[in-house]
Amino acid sequence: MSEAVAQATRRGGSVGDRPQPSGGVWGTAEKCHDPYLRCALYGAAQTALGVTGCCVLSHSPQGCYQLVDTAFGWQDADYTETLTLCTKLCEDEIVHGGEETLARTILEARELNAPILFVVTACGPEIVGDDIVAVCEEMRSQVDFQIVPILCAGFRGDQNRGIDIALETMLKHLVSGSVGDRPQPGGQHATRNTQHVPRTVCLIAPHANANPTWMGDLAWVKEVLAHMGAQVIATLTHDTALSEFQNVPLAEACLVLSHDAGQKAAETLAERYGIEQWCAGLPLPIGFTNTRNWLAQLGHRLGAEEEADRLIVQGETLVVEACRRKGLEQSAMHRAPAAIVADATVGIPLVRFITEDLEMVPTLVCLRSGQAGAGEMLERELADLGLNVKVVYNTDVYRAKMALGEARPEMVLGSNIERHAVEELGIPFVFRLVNPISRFRMVDRAYFGYVGMLNLIESIQNDWWDRYRSRQRRYKARW
Amino acid sequence: MIPKLQASHAPPCKFWTAFQVLNGIRHMAPVIHGPKGCTYSVASTYKMRGCEYRGVPLEPTSCTAQNEADVVYGGEGKLLEAIKEAEQRYHPELIVVLSCCCSGITGDDVETVAQTAAKEVNARVLAIRSEGFGGDFRSGYEDAFKVLMDLMEPRREIMKGTINIIGAREGPTYTEWLEDLDEIKRLVYAIGAKINGVLCGGCTVEQICKASLVELNASWCYDWGQKLGDLMEERFGLPYARTGQPYGPQATEEWIMGVAVPLGLESRAREVIRQETAAVGRELDTLRRCFEGKTVLIEISDFPGPIRALSLARMAEEFGAHPIVINLHPYTIKERMPSIKFLLGRGQNPEVILTKGLFSLGSFNVSSETQDEVAMVAAHYNDALYLGTPLRQPGVPQMNMTTMTGFPQYGYQGIRNMARLMQSGLEHASRPRSTLFRKVLYDE
Repeated sequence: MSEAVAQATRRGGSVGDRPQPSGGVWGTAEKCHDPYLRCALYGAAQTALGVTGCCVLSHSPQGCYQLVDTAFGWQDADYTETLTLCTKLCEDEIVHGGEETLARTILEARELNAPILFVVTACGPEIVGDDIVAVCEEMRSQVDFQIVPILCAGFRGDQNRGIDIALETMLKHLVSGSVGDRPQPGGQHATRNTQHVPRTVCLIAPHANANPTWMGDLAWVKEVLAHMGAQVIATLTHDTALSEFQNVPLAEACLVLSHDAGQKAAETLAERYGIEQWCAGLPLPIGFTNTRNWLAQLGHRLGAEEEADRLIVQGETLVVEACRRKGLEQSAMHRAPAAIVADATVGIPLVRFITEDLEMVPTLVCLRSGQAGAGEMLERELADLGLNVKVVYNTDVYRAKMALGEARPEMVLGSNIERHAVEELGIPFVFRLVNPISRFRMVDRAYFGYVGMLNLIESIQNDWWDRYRSRQRRYKARW
Repeated sequence: MIPKLQASHAPPCKFWTAFQVLNGIRHMAPVIHGPKGCTYSVASTYKMRGCEYRGVPLEPTSCTAQNEADVVYGGEGKLLEAIKEAEQRYHPELIVVLSCCCSGITGDDVETVAQTAAKEVNARVLAIRSEGFGGDFRSGYEDAFKVLMDLMEPRREIMKGTINIIGAREGPTYTEWLEDLDEIKRLVYAIGAKINGVLCGGCTVEQICKASLVELNASWCYDWGQKLGDLMEERFGLPYARTGQPYGPQATEEWIMGVAVPLGLESRAREVIRQETAAVGRELDTLRRCFEGKTVLIEISDFPGPIRALSLARMAEEFGAHPIVINLHPYTIKERMPSIKFLLGRGQNPEVILTKGLFSLGSFNVSSETQDEVAMVAAHYNDALYLGTPLRQPGVPQMNMTTMTGFPQYGYQGIRNMARLMQSGLEHASRPRSTLFRKVLYDE
């Protein structure tokens, strides 16, 4: 029995620490860690790059710029309109400070004509004490764009922590009623007493989601809100116009589209502007039950119960008919012992989906991440479904592999990492659902909602069939 | 003054490139003394690529997951424990500690911790100071190779007729197609020599230990092999075959003879060259016909590497063309000075044109401006050919030298492949750039 799982047994079934609150110390106290997640700089860069037409300057050595580049891809940014720069700090700047280099690079950015520059900071300059905020403040008068410093050194935590840091900074700098804010049109600052516009919603952290094309999930949420007569007035962040930030205080409600990040921003919106969070505590809409509950609550909040019912009936019919006509591989899934290795956003709702709808039997859940409340939500789900499942929180690759080795499920719903990691374990099926999946997806494919269910079933069935493809020819053809 | 690479362009840092070299060693467990971000990034880039394209199993990439407390109080104790845990968990033959910016700045003594750990674990333990700010991308490759020399045995019994291929990294990176290494290996075996290992393109720790015992070091690329070749020559008196990349018949012959002559395999090598040359006679005619009297514009700046551009220039000249290398960034020359000096010393000195777009801020600006400029340059010459990146289509016959077709460019197999590509380039020269590509690349 591995050390990690032995510990779990002693603790009564779950390995690792429950996800910590976003403001607390994230990550692991382990000394030897094989991580699934990138650092705070990456999460912050993802969040900044969700603002259309922005420029992101990485105040860092050049290696960290590779993270910004990856974040660029995660946000589907367009290189004709969104730009990234790097101060490429070397030994000189670490010894003597990099403030001059930062100031010079901010001035260079003038030729890009971007409306806003986010400065994301790496470990090096933060440790040596570069006063990034002061440099940004000082340069403001010399440029004609906004400058927002985001202190997100990698040692501050993982990528989800970086998303929370960036959201907090954006709310502080770009939304009226905040420190350093600009007044609302009419000269008023937004406060808790600001009049909210009925049926308007702010969406939070859509990008903290391991669906490789999470934009599909965001699109589905926007679509159902539109059907129910609600308007999305700000998305934090994806394709977010700078002007959207001014709309934030006017929102009647917010929806956090992740179980991994964004909750802290929702709490800030509640505290500062009295914005209510809807669907809090509900698993995100993956599978029949989760989607039904989620839509029903939205319908109730928006006074659109009938429309919600219509969407549910129509959606469920769509799934059933598609499976009937195109084929549902029950033989693959029926009572198959299954493990889930994913983030909380996809992983938690998957539990109910694969249990109730696909008739699998989850035996192991390894969550790579999860924000405050995610652990409790998972445990509520497991209890409600009557499942006796081993849970590993804040897993890393080593612990996931050890747990999979002990649980020996028939199938793993995970990523390309597990596909390679379980090769020696004799686990026949790994369904690549969450990032990284090593497959191109040119079209965004939702996991949320009804088409999302079909997308998941399609991926599972394709990977299932792949397993049966012969790898070698037994004899040669004669032509 | 050497212009710096603009703020919108950055190669990987020293940490990344040091990891890339070490990642080419089997059963090596890295212990990265740094936060998770650096660790997952190199794992997802290099480890997963190895699993996907090189058929290697997933091996761990562990770290000390440094957080704020470690930065304040230091993490040497945690590192020592992490090394022991890595031994217990992964049973590696070699553990390499890599420092990151955090541990580099706070001054954790990774070398001493590695020495202490080495007494307590079965695996060999090395440390490399690889903090990202500590040097440019080349220094990571070079320092990693240098540290690995500590594994090498004293040069006593020589393995006759055996060579190392040096300067490789994780295996088939984008600038290092597996097929090129395959062609080199094929030629080495054909002349009757043996290979101890490809350092570090999937080699074992044992092959590194015995690397000092071979008769000769040869490189798949002079640029990457040069540093390790020089260092091993200095420390062990082990000769290094200083030859360029085997592009075209003359450079290929030089490469083969560079290995054969020191090993005393000259006559067999001559026979191999004769047979191989005869077998590609038709392709050589095709290339000569295509190149002769033409101006050949070669633009391979970032990908798959400027040294290949210079090797292609030499090949073009060999076939009777006038080569012009476009956009060899001065930054790149600075980073590769020893190799550039070597090539100049061999009589290579092609004309170089730098266009304004190369220095623009922003990758899109560079791409779109350079397209216009290269088209203008091409229009200036009669009968120009373009060898380079498909990011451009300058309106003359072009050979896509960045395509990952699974065919090599080195040696005789490379001659076959390039003849095929050139013929296709000429046949389809009049086809316009597609609207889709034009819109995506230049937003026109």
